Amino acid sequence: MNLRKTWLSVVTVAVALVAAACGGNPSPVSNNPANETGTLTVWLMNGSAPKSVVDGVNADFKTKYPNVTVNVEIQQWGDIGTKLDTAFAGSTPPDVIELGNTLVAKYAAAGALEDISGKKSSFANSGTWLQSLTDSCTVAKKLYCVPYYAGSRAIIYRKDFFTAAGVAPPDSLDGLLTVGQKLMTAHSSDPNFSALYYPGKYWYAALPFVWDFGGDIASQSGGKWQGTLSSSSSQQGLTTLNNMVSKLSRADKTGDEAKQDQAFAQGHVAMIIANGWEVGVITSATGGDPSLADKLGAFPIPSHVSGQTAPVFLGGSDLGVATKSKHQSLANDWIAMLTGSKHMTEMATVGGVIPNTTSMLGLGTGLNAVFYNAAKNSKFVPNSENWANVENANVLPDMLVKIFTGQQKIPDATAAASTRITSILNGGG
Amino acid sequence: MGVAVSAPDLEPGPLMLRRRAWLRSNLLPYALISPSVAVIGGILAFPLGMLVWLSLQHYGLRELIAHQGRWVGLDNYRSIVVDPLFHQVIVRSLLFTFACVVLTLVLSTLLSLLLLKVRRVVRVLVMSALVFVWATPVIVSVDIWQWMFDYEFGVMNYLLTQLHVGNFIHHNWFDNPVQGLGVLVLVVVWGAIPFVTITLFAGLLQVPSDVIDAAHVDGADAWQRFWFVTAPILKPIFLIVTCLSTIWDFGVFNQIYVMLNARPSSDYFTIAIYSYRESFGVTQYGLGASIAVVMVIVLVVVTFFYVRETVKVAEIA
Repeated sequence: MNLRKTWLSVVTVAVALVAAACGGNPSPVSNNPANETGTLTVWLMNGSAPKSVVDGVNADFKTKYPNVTVNVEIQQWGDIGTKLDTAFAGSTPPDVIELGNTLVAKYAAAGALEDISGKKSSFANSGTWLQSLTDSCTVAKKLYCVPYYAGSRAIIYRKDFFTAAGVAPPDSLDGLLTVGQKLMTAHSSDPNFSALYYPGKYWYAALPFVWDFGGDIASQSGGKWQGTLSSSSSQQGLTTLNNMVSKLSRADKTGDEAKQDQAFAQGHVAMIIANGWEVGVITSATGGDPSLADKLGAFPIPSHVSGQTAPVFLGGSDLGVATKSKHQSLANDWIAMLTGSKHMTEMATVGGVIPNTTSMLGLGTGLNAVFYNAAKNSKFVPNSENWANVENANVLPDMLVKIFTGQQKIPDATAAASTRITSILNGGG
Repeated sequence: MGVAVSAPDLEPGPLMLRRRAWLRSNLLPYALISPSVAVIGGILAFPLGMLVWLSLQHYGLRELIAHQGRWVGLDNYRSIVVDPLFHQVIVRSLLFTFACVVLTLVLSTLLSLLLLKVRRVVRVLVMSALVFVWATPVIVSVDIWQWMFDYEFGVMNYLLTQLHVGNFIHHNWFDNPVQGLGVLVLVVVWGAIPFVTITLFAGLLQVPSDVIDAAHVDGADAWQRFWFVTAPILKPIFLIVTCLSTIWDFGVFNQIYVMLNARPSSDYFTIAIYSYRESFGVTQYGLGASIAVVMVIVLVVVTFFYVRETVKVAEIA
């Protein structure tokens, strides 16, 4: 008898729990937001939104939905692909997910993200979103995410080092090499000095060199992808980069860019290729050096053609809603608040990123203006659902390490990488 | 069945007793072992079966999200067999394992013999150090090793330069994969020594001192005493630790993955890293599973010899 009672209560509790879990109202938000309940889980990437912005969005959200709890979890970039795969495979993925713009196509094509084509007009500034970010959100003409912010790279340099060595920001790649060599000579007594600090796996910074000479990662024709890093123009770009790295950099040829800001802040580096927001990391009191604030300058990565700039990789992030989310309307509303004009302005002014709309590009002033301008001459990686696999398989970093360490000649390394890229982009492993 | 039931009625006594005895001697052992078999089946056979099942399917991200794979038979195995990278990975994994196991056993044996000879205080100190190494979580210790071998700030480069071994300023240990794998062997062996040393030391304590003394009296030198007296007695322990070390070192993952910032280049792929990369890196879970199955098969083949010897020794004992 007791057993039966216990069993009955277990079933009752289970039913109640299931009902509660489903009770977050998956249908459109009811007329009275105050009646909405539940917990909204948001995954943002490390370093994307300053804490003040997240707190501001959550405060606005709480005002509108007093009974909904928002749980913002900060994720690390390192192994995010693995985490996203497992999260989307589970039955309760996060409701709002920040995705690097190169990752969206993979998850959208696999059905992990909600199709928000019909809701586009409900997001602020959707008519003036940055084209490249909108493209990254669009798969088979459907919209799967909201552009969040962009980032483009330029060269951050030490003005005091330049003045002391009697050099000025160059306007061509040859000029960059000459300036670098003069800086190396001026600092020849410092065995740790790098005129241009370039860690070997830093593939985002290698792309401008490839693109500037007319090369590319891959091209598509007749629905098939073909890796093109082995083309003569791509190889020309990589030869220029390799020459520069061997003469100007003492950074780890097998390392990545994660520590470059700290290395820069230690005072043995004259130039790094970096995002605008990295100025904040270099001058931060924790891990950086605040006294460098007045000594930093920035200039665009020059082209091999004098007076022009090289196209840069337009990085950035988008915000999507999981197909399996039980709070899709709330999730979309949270995204709308974060990407609304009020918080976007703060993202640009406090966070130092490029906002998601062309209507705010005027916000870039001072050093930031250099990065904003760089975004105007930008390119993107192949827009394929399989691109993320190329990234996760480390094809480009591996190729660069082999070139910089001299393990392989440029023609061999680029041929191997091109073959692998062709295979992965066409759906193979 | 009817006959079986009615049989005791016709002929009670001896037959029934005999049958009971037969049942007891033949079925009882199975009944007693069945709980263990069920547990082992649950925690080993089931996942292994799932792995094999997964390896026979195309299982990409789309399938992962829909929880529904597409049957492809042996296609995954066919594609890894023709993959030149896979061949390199197998050879590298076997050489890496061999180097790790041999070094671990030699150094651990020397250490355990040393422990027998030293004073009690020293023995306690060494044992404490070994247990400390053993108790340190792998991720933490590998992080420290990574810092020590760091290209820019590593204490190893500083130390070697100060000791005039050569100019190691900005020496990149992972530039050359052979050297890099050498460092990784060092890290793996360092972590493996405590368990093997303590196990061997426990075995050495069981070697009767009178047998050693007798050999000594008969004129055997130190090497002969070890090789002809101590080693044969320790054989079962050697077999077990060799077998376990082979299994652990063949499947090594954490040390390589953490040491190389979660982005090891293909020169550093061992079979576990390769399987992980194919599964989670390129979201080909079926392919990754087939590599893992091959890994299990290679391990079974490699460890078969040790297991057979262990069973033989156990039977003799």
